[in-house]
Amino acid sequence: MYAIFKREFLSYFRAPVGYVAIAIFTFISGFIFYSQFLTGIVNISSEVISLRSLFVVIVPIITMGLLADDKKRGTDILYYTTPISLFNVVCGKVFASFALFMIMFVNVIIHMIVVLCCGGVIGVGAVGSIIVFIFMAFMFITIGMFASAITDSQIVSAIVSFVIIFVTQLISMISDYIGTAMCSLITMIGIDSEKASSFGNSVKNAVAWFDPFAKTQNFRIGIFSVSALFFLVSIGVLFLYLTYRVLEKKRWSQA
Amino acid sequence: MMNNDLNNKKTPVMPVRTDMSGKAKHKNNTRENNTNAQSDDRAGKLKLYSIGSVVLLIAIVLLSNILFDGIFGKALTFDFSDYNQNTISQESVDFLNSLSPDTHIRIVGLFERPDNVAETAYQCIIPLLDDYVKKSDGKITVEYVNMTEQPSIISQLDPSNSYDLSSKANSYVIQYNGRIKIVDPYDCYSYDEESLAYYGQYVVIGNNTEFTFTNAMYNLTSDSAFKAYIITGLKEAGNVYITKILDAMSIDVTELPVSENFTVPDDCDLLILNGPNSDISEKMYVAMTDYLNRGGKLFVAVDYSLDNVSVRYERLNQLLNQININIDPVLISENSPGYQLGGYSVDSTVTATDDFKDYAGIPYLHSTYARSVREISSANTGAKASPVLVTSEKASLLEVDSQGNVTADGSSSESQYNVAMYAVSSDVKPARAFVFGTLNFSSDAYISSYGLNDSNVDFFRSCIRELASDKPVNALTITTKDVENYSLSPEKATGSYATAMLVVFMVVIPVILVAMAVIVYTKRKNL
Repeated sequence: MYAIFKREFLSYFRAPVGYVAIAIFTFISGFIFYSQFLTGIVNISSEVISLRSLFVVIVPIITMGLLADDKKRGTDILYYTTPISLFNVVCGKVFASFALFMIMFVNVIIHMIVVLCCGGVIGVGAVGSIIVFIFMAFMFITIGMFASAITDSQIVSAIVSFVIIFVTQLISMISDYIGTAMCSLITMIGIDSEKASSFGNSVKNAVAWFDPFAKTQNFRIGIFSVSALFFLVSIGVLFLYLTYRVLEKKRWSQA
Repeated sequence: MMNNDLNNKKTPVMPVRTDMSGKAKHKNNTRENNTNAQSDDRAGKLKLYSIGSVVLLIAIVLLSNILFDGIFGKALTFDFSDYNQNTISQESVDFLNSLSPDTHIRIVGLFERPDNVAETAYQCIIPLLDDYVKKSDGKITVEYVNMTEQPSIISQLDPSNSYDLSSKANSYVIQYNGRIKIVDPYDCYSYDEESLAYYGQYVVIGNNTEFTFTNAMYNLTSDSAFKAYIITGLKEAGNVYITKILDAMSIDVTELPVSENFTVPDDCDLLILNGPNSDISEKMYVAMTDYLNRGGKLFVAVDYSLDNVSVRYERLNQLLNQININIDPVLISENSPGYQLGGYSVDSTVTATDDFKDYAGIPYLHSTYARSVREISSANTGAKASPVLVTSEKASLLEVDSQGNVTADGSSSESQYNVAMYAVSSDVKPARAFVFGTLNFSSDAYISSYGLNDSNVDFFRSCIRELASDKPVNALTITTKDVENYSLSPEKATGSYATAMLVVFMVVIPVILVAMAVIVYTKRKNL
């Protein structure tokens, strides 16, 4: 796994992708930090929360080539023939992307040091936001990895992961719409509006249950929930397994 | 040469039997078919295994999350926030434990529970209410109901519509045994009065959510019938915080506006005159005299500011003279450096006298722009007035003109002066009064800045308890929680520093990275 990790991690810096991704992250995080610095009040937690919206751009960039590129060049055959398990291959690639994300995150660490040097405070909310950011990065990278496994086109892979991550970020809004739609539908049938509203709310809550952002929102105010992190990890593991199955399928179909 | 040799080498071809008989051919076909069938069968099983394992894993992930959340969700949730913003204190837990097991307090938020509470007024409220539910053993329930979707909630909570709940969207209603209390989320915080006055900004400096909710529940579950009236309409600054404090002490607070037909209601247990910037009227003097003669309890607080520098409170003094107290139109100037705060003679420490030193945790309290309150002995020989708060022996009195300048010959000799006094009349039903020459114990400006657990506020509470000793009142002492301040040091957060941040983080580092990307791209292109 380490060999895969090393090869994949270094490949980010043998191509422009890694530098461009880090440059985008640095620029945007710098802008958020600068905007706060101008007001004289810097809350690192707000910065990290804002940076979460970058997942939708950064994750597709750094994961689109993980497997799709190998498939296109035909080098994926090496994974099936080398004496390591496919799961290790998948893990190695995910950890390589994750390591790149952590390198990007060094920017935030530098901002934190600047804040402390300027007499500011790093609250527990900032620590919570960083923990969530790290776990969420892992989850979204596995989603991006899965998107890369199902196609041999990097563009298609990027679009698929973009759509999945974008929808994930909008689950809360989508659940609102679905809840309202269900409520209206039930009311149209002729059921009492309060019961319809209650049903709509139940549907909304059921959909919103899948929202990782809502589950982890309290970290920002200092409330740490292990079950929220468990959710992120379990979804990450699920997508890791899905990726592994896609590769396994290809191995046997080739055989 | 070698290449030619290689090219000339032909791959050995397996000899093919062209004379294969039909029987042998059929045999081979059958074997091939069997192999294909086995292969299809195996592929089918693998496909089934693949789909099955994925479905199983999805089910496991969903179930494990639901179970984990349900069983360990609350137990494995930790409040690491500064000052435990989201956890109720031991005082609240003790109060909840003191309630009988069949108690049911219903808290209803008249709005949909927001998905994201960060940086909203509910940030410190919703998690704290969740903690109340968690620690109340079913005595408290919290629900969120959108009034527009479920209008019946209004009639459920307030059948007589006395509180006009339809206009209280975004508020909480606490209901117990048919009685309700309304909590506005914005009342759960202390704000910086200076920012509000000068910039119109609500800058949160303290979190009183627990104080507000616990005391509201305490009020509802206790049976106090103590009633206080606060006189309004005398150009006073405001009574928001003392109303909160009295409310938290289970005192029913009502405003009593100044009018032509001013009377003190018969059910008045305590009359409060907080920071008037004009004198009382003749009609009020008569009504309040009658009130004192009936054994009324009075709390008066004035100060000496530019708003009232020319007000001499003649009628108010006529009233107070009946209990041997007089408020002088002079400013107390503290000359002892040990008593001065920040080197200002008008902002100083005052000492509680022996009879009142237990009223607050410390006997040294804070007084600003104080008028002198003194005892007059001739008016009512039966009444007994005693000092409550005094200055050092080196204070003096200043007369100030309307511009705030000390008038010529306006300074008195150095001595000890009273900042607050307490008086009891000798009647069968004795009148009692606290008279403060400073507003540092009851004004919105002071309490919002120093919080509800400041020593001065504690002292004020004790004074109210003393006045209400006929009908004991009580309140739970819940500390105001400080709110994290993310401000940078003003010396460091300058424009030039900000520009440096802009250049480094948004120009230098990204440009270097993009340049490296271009170099790598060019090198790869030329490979």
